[in-house]
Amino acid sequence: MTMIRKLGDFAKLAREKGPKKMVVLAPEDNDFMMAIKKSHELGYIEPILVGDKKRIAEAAQKVDFNIGSFRKISEEDKQSISDLGIRMLFSGETPIAGKGQIPTSYIYRSIIREEAKANSGMTVSVVSLWEVPGIDHLIAFTDTGVSIKPNMKAKKEIIQNAVFVFHLLGYTRPKIAVLSGQREVGGTMASYRDYEALKIEADEGKFGDCEIIPATSFTEIFLAGKKRTGDEKNVRKDCVPHILIVPCLDTGNIICKLDFFLNVKRSSLVATSRGPVCIPSRSDKSHNLVEQISMGVVLADHMERKKKVQK
Amino acid sequence: MIMNSFNDILKAAKHSGARRIVIPSPAREDIDVLSRAAASGLVIPRFIGETKSLKAIVGKSPLFPAGAEIISADDPQDALNLAIEQLKKGETDILMQGGINPQVLLDTLQDKSTGLKTSRTISYVSLFQHFSKDKLMLVTDTFCNNFPHVAEKQGILENALNLARTLGMEAPKVAVLAAIEQVNPAIASTLDAAILSKMSDRGQFGKATVEGPLDIDCAVSRAAAERKGLHSIVTGDVDIYVVPEIDTGYLFAESLAFFGKMRSAGVVLGTSSPVIINLPFISADDKAVEIALACLMCRKGKNHG
Repeated sequence: MTMIRKLGDFAKLAREKGPKKMVVLAPEDNDFMMAIKKSHELGYIEPILVGDKKRIAEAAQKVDFNIGSFRKISEEDKQSISDLGIRMLFSGETPIAGKGQIPTSYIYRSIIREEAKANSGMTVSVVSLWEVPGIDHLIAFTDTGVSIKPNMKAKKEIIQNAVFVFHLLGYTRPKIAVLSGQREVGGTMASYRDYEALKIEADEGKFGDCEIIPATSFTEIFLAGKKRTGDEKNVRKDCVPHILIVPCLDTGNIICKLDFFLNVKRSSLVATSRGPVCIPSRSDKSHNLVEQISMGVVLADHMERKKKVQK
Repeated sequence: MIMNSFNDILKAAKHSGARRIVIPSPAREDIDVLSRAAASGLVIPRFIGETKSLKAIVGKSPLFPAGAEIISADDPQDALNLAIEQLKKGETDILMQGGINPQVLLDTLQDKSTGLKTSRTISYVSLFQHFSKDKLMLVTDTFCNNFPHVAEKQGILENALNLARTLGMEAPKVAVLAAIEQVNPAIASTLDAAILSKMSDRGQFGKATVEGPLDIDCAVSRAAAERKGLHSIVTGDVDIYVVPEIDTGYLFAESLAFFGKMRSAGVVLGTSSPVIINLPFISADDKAVEIALACLMCRKGKNHG
């Protein structure tokens, strides 16, 4: 499997692997419906629309999208919409689920329940991938959406989920940095102690094929002991790890959405044991949404293939 | 006049006349940076430390200016104590970390009897020059406090507002950051942010608009905020970002420096004299900006926090 190095790579692959069935939860907003329309036209997905029939029809009409031929399931209660969609993913009816106008917390709740039923041992975490100019691979921040203050146990599961995603993306031995606000003052941070403990476990092979690097800050990652200079000649981009474990939700969410400000591209998803769930932010625009859907399609495809091999 | 770039800060400082800066146990790099700052008329340095070795280094510095002094001290702690004593007497204006361990320096500053603390909280502000427009961005606290509670955050914000006003921002726009823009009792940062925002509504921070909680997309993008139904003059035009705690603050500042390639400077606030400390992601060029910034804070003639 070739390594996926750019978010743009997903578009080409999604066209090859699609269309895949995607259960779409409450597509009631124009931007989001537009993304579904484009993803369908590009051959990525065959949507199944779940939610308030009237609102879905209105949104479709506004973006000039003929939804007559798609399966529609009428449901108004948010938690019921979410439960129904995630159940379809876990029963194998659809390989992908995508969230529209439902708060993400409902989706997380549904996934947690289904993972428990499936006895998968998998926790729910959000992986936010970044494409950064000058860095020749994708990098991911995680968990950027679920755990408010992950403890050691949660961080282990977050690492395992991210490694799972990177293996699917073709990275055989992803490098991981466990980030911390550790610096020369303020004593030893809890996030730094987590790094130390997690590194020992990674070195023992407890997280499978991956490596935790001995760096917890971007200064260590980018400068590797050198000094920053005005011409930035000491900033190196060839040693950036693939997975960045953030200390807490505030850190993860605040940094990963810097794509609204900096010259980076972002795409987020939840990888469940049964398939990807696209969970765009309420402020994401439709072109970004299409990219997130293409990523879901490719990951779903890779998961299906992996399952076939395992059988 | 409002200062919108690091150059504006350097220019304004040069106009304000030379300040006396004291450096306990200086390292070679400090001397280089200070030689340049002294040559451009920003500061007159006073080095405190082991005289013989200092003279050896200082003597070699081609730019070493007239007026600089070397004062003898036996060890770094003595040098620091002497430096603080001189600041308190008004013999010098600005303190630079020099070779002092940063934790020792902070502890000494905080000390009630011997330190320099004058406000509710000692804090650190990182200053960034926007990568695409003429604008300075303040981020705080990015170094001093690990997990400030709401009263400390109030102090951190007050310190930053004072600095913003020194930089000519008459009514600073503040984003108190959190993971989400809604107040959620399960996420403590959103509660603190809401409290600070309400304090601002009641005029407790003077002429300023404090908006919080704001997630980063709403803070940096007016369009993103509008899509979430959040309408505020702060969105898309933030002067001061207040971070929830240090894990976020330090990593956020580093993200702006490395992913955003933004020039970065900073200064300690809440002390009777400005204090410049060494952060690993600040270049030597921008150290000169920190010195200029400290000079401007002296111009105000009162405490900086």
